[in-house]
Amino acid sequence: MSEADVRELTYLEAIREALTQEMRHDPNVFLLGEDIGVYGGAFGVTRGMLEEFGPERVRDTPISEAAIAGAATGAALMGMRPVMEIMFMDFITIAMNQLVNQAAKIRFMFGGKASIPMVIRTPAGSGTGAAAQHCQSLEAWFINVPGIKVVAPATPYDAKGLLITAIRDNNPVLFMEHKLLYRTKGPVPEELYSIPLGQAVVRREGRDATVLTYSVMVPRALEAAEQLSREGIELEVVDLRSLKPLDQATIVASVSKTGRVLIVHEAPRTGGFGGELAAVIAESEAFDYLDAPIRRLAGRDVPIPYNRALERAAVPQVEDIVAAARALAREGK
Amino acid sequence: MATEIIMPKVDMVMDTGTFVEWLKKEGEYVEKGEPLFVVLTDKANIEIEAPASGILAGLRAKPNDVIPVTEVIGYILEPGETLPGAAPGPEPERVVPPSPVSAADKAAPRMEPAAVSEKVRATPAARRLAAELGIDLRLVSRGHGPRGRIQRADVEALATQAAVRPSAPVIAVAPTPVTTVSGITPPASVRLPDARQKDVVMLSGPRKIIAERMAYSAATAPHIALSLRVDMSEASRLRTYVQDHFQRKTGQRVSFTAIIARAVAAVLPRHPYLNASLDGDRIILWEDIHLGIATSLEDYLVVPVIRQAQNKNLEQIVTELADLIERARTRRLTPAEMSGSTFTITNLGMFGVEWFTAIINPPETAILAVGQIMDTPVGREGNVVLRPMMQMTLSADHRVIDGARAAHFLTEVKQTLENPYLLI
Repeated sequence: MSEADVRELTYLEAIREALTQEMRHDPNVFLLGEDIGVYGGAFGVTRGMLEEFGPERVRDTPISEAAIAGAATGAALMGMRPVMEIMFMDFITIAMNQLVNQAAKIRFMFGGKASIPMVIRTPAGSGTGAAAQHCQSLEAWFINVPGIKVVAPATPYDAKGLLITAIRDNNPVLFMEHKLLYRTKGPVPEELYSIPLGQAVVRREGRDATVLTYSVMVPRALEAAEQLSREGIELEVVDLRSLKPLDQATIVASVSKTGRVLIVHEAPRTGGFGGELAAVIAESEAFDYLDAPIRRLAGRDVPIPYNRALERAAVPQVEDIVAAARALAREGK
Repeated sequence: MATEIIMPKVDMVMDTGTFVEWLKKEGEYVEKGEPLFVVLTDKANIEIEAPASGILAGLRAKPNDVIPVTEVIGYILEPGETLPGAAPGPEPERVVPPSPVSAADKAAPRMEPAAVSEKVRATPAARRLAAELGIDLRLVSRGHGPRGRIQRADVEALATQAAVRPSAPVIAVAPTPVTTVSGITPPASVRLPDARQKDVVMLSGPRKIIAERMAYSAATAPHIALSLRVDMSEASRLRTYVQDHFQRKTGQRVSFTAIIARAVAAVLPRHPYLNASLDGDRIILWEDIHLGIATSLEDYLVVPVIRQAQNKNLEQIVTELADLIERARTRRLTPAEMSGSTFTITNLGMFGVEWFTAIINPPETAILAVGQIMDTPVGREGNVVLRPMMQMTLSADHRVIDGARAAHFLTEVKQTLENPYLLI
């Protein structure tokens, strides 16, 4: 198939298409969440799906994240493949016990005789002016819980392919969508396809420094790389896509090649996933290739402010990546 | 006790340093770690920090003095102290040492030059490369990273200067200073009483490295030179034939240097002693053919390297050579790209030179000097005809290569260039 034959979809449409196609393909797949049916979802991801699949398979729930997660866990335990939606990732706190103590543990507690094939879809991240209780990126909490996988796609193509894989996975998968990416467009094949978890992708090759990142920071890092290229600095941008399982081989290869690494994420720096990535690199054979300290560029350790200027200042922007990567690439040269 | 200020050894190949200037004056108070004076090395002007705190005295180095390393060029005295060997004198009154508090504030952890016993601050990549090359990191006085941290580029720079090859086991070639090669003593100084001076240019930087390495090679490797002429009719035809296609595809013209490089890379694997290095009592035969191509810049010569040329086709060599030469001319080559060659080609044909002999680029064992292609009358089947002839002269290190061995190689290069179609 040539490029011209591939349709362009938005990230949001790609997610909807993945859900729709999987539901047509597998009658055990169903959706549950707040306002996902009649209203079509807070961001419109499930718009039109109630009409196609009916209220049995596109279930509007009460405003109780604990109930959504508990019901999804129970349904999964009984052989269904639920895809639950948490309207804003911030609200996942209320579902924590069901997800962390039940969904993540059941397969292990029952010696593998039960499994929990479910997906938790949730929009994360700031940039919409929705303030501290609607803007968080809480991936690090879940990465620290054995039994849950964490995926954070950056492109429409990956959103569709990774969501299909997540639905078919026999374990709970936290599927992080980014609000600012919903309207971004990209080529998405019409057919069903899946992308394996645990495979990062090098979005741009470069020799001077590696940028390890995911989700909304991928397009920002690519824009930064473009700008720095004009100064003769070539960044290699690695989109992790799946945070757990993590593609260590691609990380180690890239860092070994460039000798310098900048880790970029939106979530707050302290205790963030960047610290784990830094440790992975420091413990690997890439250590001997490091020609500068591992650097992190992450959200500030503050609740996301309501003020739009401060909100922008609280998380890495293109110019921040440019400045940090430039300093890193030039260090000692 | 008075602390001696010495000319430091700031890089491995340094025997003398050219003094540039004092940054502090006689009698002034200096804090340990403050920049004290500037020295010119092969690479750059380097600021040297004060080895101790105290009052400067007996400063005897002057700008442009060439001073052997470790020679004392001044002293730092403690308050009340006098110069060694001088009569006690009154302490200069205006000097008041700063209070301990401000001294502590300023005491940034900086590396001191030539302080070899101190802990080395270097990145893992720099340590790895240094270990591979057998370089003692303590010889890098101060890296270019933050607060003097040694980074990969610093080790590469040192490696280039010392002619240590990055991709292979170490051969530490220790160039001898130009003035003391093999016990030949030069005249005490150059005096031509009836000649008027136009200018005096310091032998420094790349010029000094070239001077040392060429003198070292000429003095240590007994050179033999063999020369023959090659009929370039077919090579010219080949070049004309592929020119348009290559230019469309790569944007580059096919140079004769590239064709010769391709021929040499094709022939060398069968002549391992010409792709070798003499290291003490061992001759190391290299598997990889890293072809150095001598390239003249305005003021000196660099030798960018086509690595693993044995695996590259003509198109790759054309493209890579064009890139290397372009970046050499714009001074954007990295030290690694200019070092580690196993055989060198030098072509002066474009300057109209008919033939010449070249000095071997150590630690290699041979170098091929290429002259201009000229229409020349030659005998062919009983007739005198004009043919584009090119003279090639091979210089070889007779310690490793005898005449017959050199001749076999040279003849095979000639045959390859005269039947070049297998090279594409």
